[in-house]
Amino acid sequence: MSGTDGTGAGTSGREDVLLEVEDLRVHFPIRRGIVFDRTIGHVRAVDGVSLRIARGTTYGLVGESGCGKSTLGRALLRLNEPTSGRIVLDGTDVRALGREPLRRFRRRMQMVFQDPLSSLDPRQSVQSLLTEPLRVHGLDEADRGRLGGNGERAHVERAAELLEVVGLPRSALARYPHEFSGGQRQRIGIARAMVLNPELVVADEPVSALDVSVQAQVINLLEELQELLGLTYLVIAHDLAVVRHISDTIGVMYLGVIVEEAPSDALYEQPLHPYTLALMSAIPVPDPAVEDARERILLAGDLPSPANPPAGCRFHTRCPFAQERLCADTVPELREVAPGRRVACHWAEEIRDGRITAHRVDPDATVTADVRPGTSGPSGTDLDPLAVP
Amino acid sequence: MSGSVERSADRRAQERPAWPPALVEVMGGTAVADEKGTSLWRGAVQRLRRNPSAIVGAVIVLAFVVVAAAAPLLAPYEPASTEWIAMVTPSDVPGPFPGHPLGLDPFGSDLLTQLLYGARQSLLIGVVSTSLGLLVGAALGGLAGAFGGWVDTLVMRVVDILLSIPSLLLAVSVAAVLGRNPLAIMIAIAAAQVPIFARLLRGSMLSQRGQDYVLAASSLGLRRRTVVMSHVLPNSLGPVIVQATLTLATSIIEVAALSYLGLGAPNPAVAEWGRMLVKGQERLQSDPHLTLLPGVCIAITALGFTLFGEALREALDPKSRR
Amino acid sequence: MAEHPGPVEGPLLAVEDLSVTFQHRGGPPTRAVDGVSFTVDPGEVVGIVGESGSGKSVTSMAVMGLLPARTSRVTGSARFDDRDLLRMPDAERSRLRGKEIAMVFQDPMSSLNPVLTVGLQITEVLQRHQQVGRAEAREQAVELLHRVGIPDPRRRVGEYPHQLSGGMRQRALIAVALACRPRLLICDEPTTALDVTIQAQVLELLRELVADLGTAMIMITHDLGVVAGLCDRVNVMYAGRVVESAGRRDLFAAPRHRYTEGLLASIPRLDAPRGEGLTPIPGTPRDTVGWDRACAFAPRCRHASDGCVRPDLALEPMAPRSGEVEHLVRCVHPAPVGAPEHLEGAR
Repeated sequence: MSGTDGTGAGTSGREDVLLEVEDLRVHFPIRRGIVFDRTIGHVRAVDGVSLRIARGTTYGLVGESGCGKSTLGRALLRLNEPTSGRIVLDGTDVRALGREPLRRFRRRMQMVFQDPLSSLDPRQSVQSLLTEPLRVHGLDEADRGRLGGNGERAHVERAAELLEVVGLPRSALARYPHEFSGGQRQRIGIARAMVLNPELVVADEPVSALDVSVQAQVINLLEELQELLGLTYLVIAHDLAVVRHISDTIGVMYLGVIVEEAPSDALYEQPLHPYTLALMSAIPVPDPAVEDARERILLAGDLPSPANPPAGCRFHTRCPFAQERLCADTVPELREVAPGRRVACHWAEEIRDGRITAHRVDPDATVTADVRPGTSGPSGTDLDPLAVP
Repeated sequence: MSGSVERSADRRAQERPAWPPALVEVMGGTAVADEKGTSLWRGAVQRLRRNPSAIVGAVIVLAFVVVAAAAPLLAPYEPASTEWIAMVTPSDVPGPFPGHPLGLDPFGSDLLTQLLYGARQSLLIGVVSTSLGLLVGAALGGLAGAFGGWVDTLVMRVVDILLSIPSLLLAVSVAAVLGRNPLAIMIAIAAAQVPIFARLLRGSMLSQRGQDYVLAASSLGLRRRTVVMSHVLPNSLGPVIVQATLTLATSIIEVAALSYLGLGAPNPAVAEWGRMLVKGQERLQSDPHLTLLPGVCIAITALGFTLFGEALREALDPKSRR
Repeated sequence: MAEHPGPVEGPLLAVEDLSVTFQHRGGPPTRAVDGVSFTVDPGEVVGIVGESGSGKSVTSMAVMGLLPARTSRVTGSARFDDRDLLRMPDAERSRLRGKEIAMVFQDPMSSLNPVLTVGLQITEVLQRHQQVGRAEAREQAVELLHRVGIPDPRRRVGEYPHQLSGGMRQRALIAVALACRPRLLICDEPTTALDVTIQAQVLELLRELVADLGTAMIMITHDLGVVAGLCDRVNVMYAGRVVESAGRRDLFAAPRHRYTEGLLASIPRLDAPRGEGLTPIPGTPRDTVGWDRACAFAPRCRHASDGCVRPDLALEPMAPRSGEVEHLVRCVHPAPVGAPEHLEGAR
């Protein structure tokens, strides 16, 4: 049960792993100075993340702002240069690629951005937006045969084809990004990411900038495209409900590290890390019956600075389950507690079995945690933040 | 894939509800037309055409350019012809009389002719100096904005030094060093504009570089050069173009100011509004129109460029897009 | 949620037929709010839910008299204690603002003055509306900061907004709003800019304050989840009109307007089993038609018929009346009561 395999991801090594990340770190220097800038410290945006994504599956990365999830997503595509660690995509060590090989390699990994308006060049027509990557990389061999050559005409055909896939008419080619609604713009952004037939797509908050009534369209589109094109996704979002809906595996990030990783349903049914518990109980559910009955685990205070993360477990300053032993001085490893389930908490089993109960957190600079009575039940199910008693 | 494309399109057709006939009727006007899209530039032109002050500015600018270009055709006489010098006395410059709708200038030339040719000189110096300032400034700013790092630091320190010298003083010193010739004046005025354009373009490029579309471009595997030249730069030019229009107004005033200070074109025969202002000033009491008319010309022209520039700024503002 | 304090003698705020038209230079007039009516009883929490462009924020701005008079035209009435906020002289309205009606905005950074200390911004309100001295106002400010859960209030009172975190700023803003114990608190997307765990803290705070102080509240949000846990009554807005108004439980258990129903079916729920498909609302909020010709939602509605094309679609009470609050719907083909689409999957 309590395997201590710290860095290995999962037990089933037989699965077809597309992306493997090992101990990735991204540190940004903090510079100060009047004439000459001196480095006075580092923001540890991503501080030792290891994960694997199987081909054709979706890995959801969830966390609050400042937890490093976006930095991690960008670092995987080397849009941010990682400080250390390994990124292997389908056998290729991405970090070892030189500038030109990396540029050519980019067709295999693409990104969907949060704000579709700012991620599309306002001066480009949709046609130019969609054919530009093709002018750089050329069409796939398969597409080349199908569309007859690799010229401008074939590129435009490919662009029109993708527009249709994402549900926009061919006439959109002549239009400009500002002429579309938010949801349509995001469709264009998705079409652009797909035009090169990538294998890995990193989607950074793909729906959070959209109107509520449009979000489902884009979520469905992403799922459809995955099925259609056999894509592998890394979906980054702050909304656990969205991530749970779309992902096979979920990684929960806190202050630059993954604190818990589990299959989507397992994570929801039995969250093991106290932070996951708090996160789940904080998400409003559009159902008064659930809202009135649920127990809330309110976290104390705010996210500590990633430039100076707390010693020991990074979450211990806000954790309602923190213990005197270990938490403040020993960094918990991300250990496998069940097949496919990893958690970075010294006391995960004790908390699950109800042997440790939540208490008030009252450190000086934080708000008191309001843990309602009832969280101290004898069995793990009592911790289910959505449980209706 | 094409098979699945059809499938997906099929499903989508089902997804959108079929509108009942009465609804189709009321929605008729709002159906998406299959016309050509509106690019940012075309949109800006459309907004400009709806803005009255843009139209006024454009008319003034256009009139100024036409007058300057067609001065030889419009002017009733040869420039700097002093054939009526006999009519000028120390106490009196003849006002309007037949054949001379605005009268004479203190040197016995036709005032209207001089004013028309003056437009020519102002436009020439204004356009050349602004282009020069724009070119050098944009090159420096572009360099700093494109490369960043130590290039940026170096370029911007140089620009800071230029900026710390008052612009007129800078112009005066360049004119003093290079001597009194039209080129010197142009360089002098341009030198004062270089820092403005450099800082503007650099700042604009830096803010564009932070946009997601630049990140998107590099994630698509575009070359760095392509990212900068075909994405960052075109999106950064808006404010620079607006500034250039506004600067044209300033340079026209500055040409006049330099002439006023005695640093203008050396050949007194070349008509120039600034010098006309100076010469007229001596007779401000008796013949105020000699000062007034060139002054009004300068003011209106500058106003035209300013109006147009401000309207352009508004039209290019991303917030004015719907 | 909040208990109704004693017998209610009529609403605290009654908004009647409120319309707001914007007229910008060079463009046609646009009607952002179109005949909105609702009431807020003392101590009641009323939610206004809608997407961007639904007119929910403009409604509150109009009630508070915060819209620019040059570009907007406001008609209708908003009676607060039988005084019409819309026809009141500016001086009287600004006396009311901050004292009896207070507002909390989405972005706490831009709603707090960056060059004044947090304490000063609270004492300013106190000194304007109540006859208190500076020292006493400061004491009250410390007390308020403590009340909204800001730790070490004595130190924080002298700090500037940028020294506080986002959640802390929103708490400070709530403290400013509560300074004079207003009878009505209008919250415009108060937690949208915050992280979920911080949102939970702020919502809990609001819940407590409403219960303890008996303040009535209007909660404007796009998040149905926020409404579900907080509001007594909910008004759903679409394209400038209220399309459905119901008690919290009625609305979520049996949404009747097709827009509300569609919205609930389209949002992923944390407690829905994975693999459960979402049913999106087709089209975009731009696909609309003027209320003066048809139901504005008809172009996106799966149930639209020729009958929906009528200019006089009214907000009508639905029978049977199940709760203590009337269930009003503006729809030709209201959804049947029974198993609503969004719950079928979840159960």
